[in-house]
Amino acid sequence: MPPQTPQPNPKRALPNKESGLFRELLHLYESRQLKKAIKTADTILKKFPEHGETLCMKGLVLTHLGRRDEGKDLVKRGIRLDLTSHIVWHVFGLIQKADKDYDGALKSYHQALRFEKDNQNILRDAAHLQTQLRLYDQLLDTRIILLRLRPNLRQNWIALAVAHHLAGDLQAACTVLEQYQRTLKNVPPHDVEHSELLLYHARILEDLGAHSQALDFLDEHARTGAIVDLVALAEARARLLSATGPPDVAEASWRTLLKQNADNVDYYRGLLRVRCLDLGKLSLSILAPTDPAALGLLVELSDEFPRATALRLLVLRAVPASSDRFTALARAHLLTGLHKGIPSLFASTKGLYTDTVKRDTIERLVEGFKDAEDRGEPLDGDVGKRDPDAPTTYLWTLYYLAQHYSALGAHQRALALVVTALQHTPTLPELHTLRGRILKRLGDLAGAADAVDAARRLDGQDRFLNTKSAKYWLRAGDVARAGDVLGLFTKKDAPSPGQDLEDMQSLLYLLESGAAEQRLGRLNLALKRYHAIERVFSDFEDDQYDFHGYSLRRSIINIYLSMIKWANSLRAYPAYVAAALAASEIYIRVHDDPALVKLGSAVSAAEEKKAKKKAKKAAAKAQDAIKQASSANANEDKGLEAQPAKDEDPDGTKLLTDPAPLDRAWRFLAPLRSLKPASEDARAAQALNRAKSLDPENPDLHPCLLHFRRTCTSPSLPPPHGLTSRNCPPLTQLLPSEEEASSEVLNARFLQLHARDARAILSAAKGARVIGAPVEEVEGIAMGALADGVEMDLKTARAILDFLRKLSAPRADEFRKACDTQFALSTLFKTPDELAAFRAEGVPIEDAELIA
Amino acid sequence: MNIRPVRVGDLMGMQACNLQNLPENYTMKYYLYHAMTWPGLSYVAEDENGRVVGYILAKMEEDLPEGDEPHGHVTSISVLRSHRRLGLAKKLMIQSQEAMAAIYQASYVSLHVRKSNRAALSLYRDTLGFTVRDIEKKYYADGEDAYAMRLYLKKTDDSAIASTATR
Repeated sequence: MPPQTPQPNPKRALPNKESGLFRELLHLYESRQLKKAIKTADTILKKFPEHGETLCMKGLVLTHLGRRDEGKDLVKRGIRLDLTSHIVWHVFGLIQKADKDYDGALKSYHQALRFEKDNQNILRDAAHLQTQLRLYDQLLDTRIILLRLRPNLRQNWIALAVAHHLAGDLQAACTVLEQYQRTLKNVPPHDVEHSELLLYHARILEDLGAHSQALDFLDEHARTGAIVDLVALAEARARLLSATGPPDVAEASWRTLLKQNADNVDYYRGLLRVRCLDLGKLSLSILAPTDPAALGLLVELSDEFPRATALRLLVLRAVPASSDRFTALARAHLLTGLHKGIPSLFASTKGLYTDTVKRDTIERLVEGFKDAEDRGEPLDGDVGKRDPDAPTTYLWTLYYLAQHYSALGAHQRALALVVTALQHTPTLPELHTLRGRILKRLGDLAGAADAVDAARRLDGQDRFLNTKSAKYWLRAGDVARAGDVLGLFTKKDAPSPGQDLEDMQSLLYLLESGAAEQRLGRLNLALKRYHAIERVFSDFEDDQYDFHGYSLRRSIINIYLSMIKWANSLRAYPAYVAAALAASEIYIRVHDDPALVKLGSAVSAAEEKKAKKKAKKAAAKAQDAIKQASSANANEDKGLEAQPAKDEDPDGTKLLTDPAPLDRAWRFLAPLRSLKPASEDARAAQALNRAKSLDPENPDLHPCLLHFRRTCTSPSLPPPHGLTSRNCPPLTQLLPSEEEASSEVLNARFLQLHARDARAILSAAKGARVIGAPVEEVEGIAMGALADGVEMDLKTARAILDFLRKLSAPRADEFRKACDTQFALSTLFKTPDELAAFRAEGVPIEDAELIA
Repeated sequence: MNIRPVRVGDLMGMQACNLQNLPENYTMKYYLYHAMTWPGLSYVAEDENGRVVGYILAKMEEDLPEGDEPHGHVTSISVLRSHRRLGLAKKLMIQSQEAMAAIYQASYVSLHVRKSNRAALSLYRDTLGFTVRDIEKKYYADGEDAYAMRLYLKKTDDSAIASTATR
């Protein structure tokens, strides 16, 4: 667009009196005297009903008063009446921003700036939007203009440096900060914000690789006392000295940090690295240093910092497994934990089990403790001196051993140990939760939930036990009970426990609840939860917005920049990935089989009705709360953002019946892939290619590959986007050509290759189904999982049963019965009637031992 | 166990830990506000798998009345039940307190605790040396009273880290 000189709108100019009123209106809005502002606007509009700027201002004030739709209509009318006013566009931009329409808002600000190019408020708002939208080149331009307009404002310098930094030009950022520092005079002593700025400056030098310069910079400002965050300062010095300094100086810097905090694993890692010893990528679960010098250093440190638990485990990792020293150190470590009754003793020790010799030594030691206790002897070998804590030590010994055997897969033995402990002391909640965990591993989900609930009832004040119990009820499929339990801790005035947890962004609850609904076949409610997770993540993204201004004003930059990075990769967090995969799987299933929609919502008509009623009630309650809040004070400023609207789809039926389920699925998955959207098939091929490169033998991939080939080559299906197997290069990269091996041959080969792996057998059965084999043949392959010598775990067995049922295979029940025998303690393979009988009988704790 | 200053990537773990443990919960924006404003005051304890099992979320008191000394405030502190008896709460609290004194010259740190929460009360009073200053009626959403507790901080000029920093 060619630059134009905007012609002022002749209708904009107001007579003296009204133009004074308009200025007053602006002032009243700024000071949030909203009722008066409306009155003033009305006075102007009485005489000049078509004054665009006044209409917009009135619309803005109405929006603040909660009359959103009315307000927005006025704003839009105002814009049409005065298209060349910066005020109308600024107002529109504010409202779009409040609607989270960042793109639209930025466009409006650009319009506003055409008519008022040096307006600092608008420029600043534009800069925040440009940061939110990651338009760093634009941001840089805006920041340069702002600095030129007001070079004496500190934040304009810092903001320009940050813009350079974000745009990837660290050198320019550095130069701006240097220029700024030259203008500085008389910094007050102990100025935290100045200190933060210096630490930011040093970080840029460090990232530029100018290590000695960064070090000098830090030391200079440390000497004058200008840097006041001593931990951040010492950490930066240690990093820099490790890169440049003589090893002994670098080492001393890490030791200084350890004196401040001997439990920080990063410091040990830094120290070892100075001596060219690597501690592995993460704290303790990674391999130990094998160098004897590392062991020497760790031992020396553990004398200096005897209370550092991390260090003790590092030493245990480093000591050779077969040495007497390991046995002695492990013995001391275990005894301390057992005497103190540290519940996490096993969780922290099991990292050592990757070395089976160490694992066996530990087993021998703890079994030895148990034997001694059974005989009434003291554990530390000091015969004649009875341990005062013996009874609880005994319990914690049993607790340890039960966890130990359960982790090794010996669940029955583990269960017997817990039962012994419970007979001794039935009031220790940890024993009940452990019993629950073992039952869960054995497949008795309802029994597990009962056990964990017993723990919860022993300490009703403890939300940890409450959460755990609710999670187990959800896993067992008892959604109602889970809700009741959770409700003991959620806010009493919330519409429902679930709603409170959703409002508080509990990803754990939303995921577990979604998965539970999905297992119950209530796909609509499952989708509801997964969409709630999506909303939590987009709220996190919105949360950044205010800090684009706030952090620069306060000149706290290092952590602000890590927030930007965090927000960029938010969607890679496991909770989002899990929700996106689960939701898209439902949408894809609905696309493949639209009959599911009816099934999904007709699982149990009565139950559904009840749930609907409940949801309706909850929604009404929420609505009441909103109404109450809004009627409380009609003049109250409600801010620019929309109040939570009434949920028009409380049970998720609209989601499930969406006419474009694949679009929905894609929207969930889109943030997960970093490739540019290409054609559908290219996308599919790329995704499969990538999956194959990551894990070529993954059994789940096999049926997908066959499905893709069939879609690409089937004569009965229209070739998507004109592709055939010949001109579809990705396909030939994934599979041999059709002439070389037919899909039937590929499937047979796959089955032969993985004949003893139940998961692969399931995949081969799925593959056979994909290429159109008759049901009997598919079923025959799947039943192969029961053959002798095939390894099948609980989860796979359940998946095969689900697959057979979906197929309406005649032998599905035969498979179920076989599994019920094979997994004797599991309730996963019982019919509803059997389950009811099983539950009614119950398994009292005393008899559990017999089963074990 | 690893105890270290908070990073932005820990905030979701902190929020999860808080929701699992305590009845007073906050949305992410509030965690971000703490970290973005007082980056040196909050700490986390993570287990061997990098999961947050304990945290302290702390701030400086803002809008002080004229003449009041700067002081810190513990917004929330908790350790998962599965990781008790390791002394984590104490270690977290000490790190945060020393940062309050060093960075912001705080003279004391304050916190609130439910009157009925005996375990927490004994931790603050007996282990950490806090004293009850006041009872705040109906401080909590459910109507329960809170003890307002306070601990005066020592000057940290002679700590190991301070002496090397200014060397």
